[in-house]
Amino acid sequence: MPVSFFSAYSRTIAASAVIVLSIWVFYGGLSAAVYPGLLGFFEWSETTWFGVIGKTWGAAFAFIEAIHLIALAVLGGSIIASDGRVLGLVLTDVSARTVIDRTHTLFAWSLAVLLFTGVFMACGVATKIYYLQVFWFKMLALGAGMLFHYFIRKPLYQYDLSELNPVVVKMTAVSSLLVWFLVAAAGRWIGYSG
Amino acid sequence: MSENTTVKDDETKKNDDQTAALIVAQTFIAFSAIYWFLQIESVRELLQLAYG
Repeated sequence: MPVSFFSAYSRTIAASAVIVLSIWVFYGGLSAAVYPGLLGFFEWSETTWFGVIGKTWGAAFAFIEAIHLIALAVLGGSIIASDGRVLGLVLTDVSARTVIDRTHTLFAWSLAVLLFTGVFMACGVATKIYYLQVFWFKMLALGAGMLFHYFIRKPLYQYDLSELNPVVVKMTAVSSLLVWFLVAAAGRWIGYSG
Repeated sequence: MSENTTVKDDETKKNDDQTAALIVAQTFIAFSAIYWFLQIESVRELLQLAYG
């Protein structure tokens, strides 16, 4: 009986475990214990090619940052289009399935570009962002957003939406919008900190 | 028989996916509400300190 319960609700149990683990890591003292040990990694990342280029060649940093922001706009647009369609706010003349499938490709590419350009930019200012609380908050939001997108939202949206509980579908869409808004806001906040 | 089992498995998987989505969505919405409320409060207090 317990075995069948665990296998029947494996995703629910895993999602709950990740939530509890995240709270424990960030508010239970584990992050504070690991934090000092990460300084060496951040100092080293400034000495890599990315770090040296980002620090010494302002035009390269600005160019990569422009690509980062454009990718962020595309990612935000894909989220607004697909979740807005699920909520019945935008693109209502196109089927939700079409919008979800097409925006997912855009989302995946823009996320890949965001991650690559983000690593480059982080290397250039690594020892600055290491001390910024908002940077760590953004990493938490980004990790939560990616896990949510690929392990919660995508599997749920693969079903016929009319067969799902409408409250769950709408709450998922609202959460998706909120978490990516938080990622974007925290990202811009880094630019105005330190 | 096996067709019935497959239908039941699909239904169970759907329930699992929906329950997981509900739990995570509730957490995100509650966290966002508290977080942005606190941020807005802190800005309001700063403005009050600056301009009375």
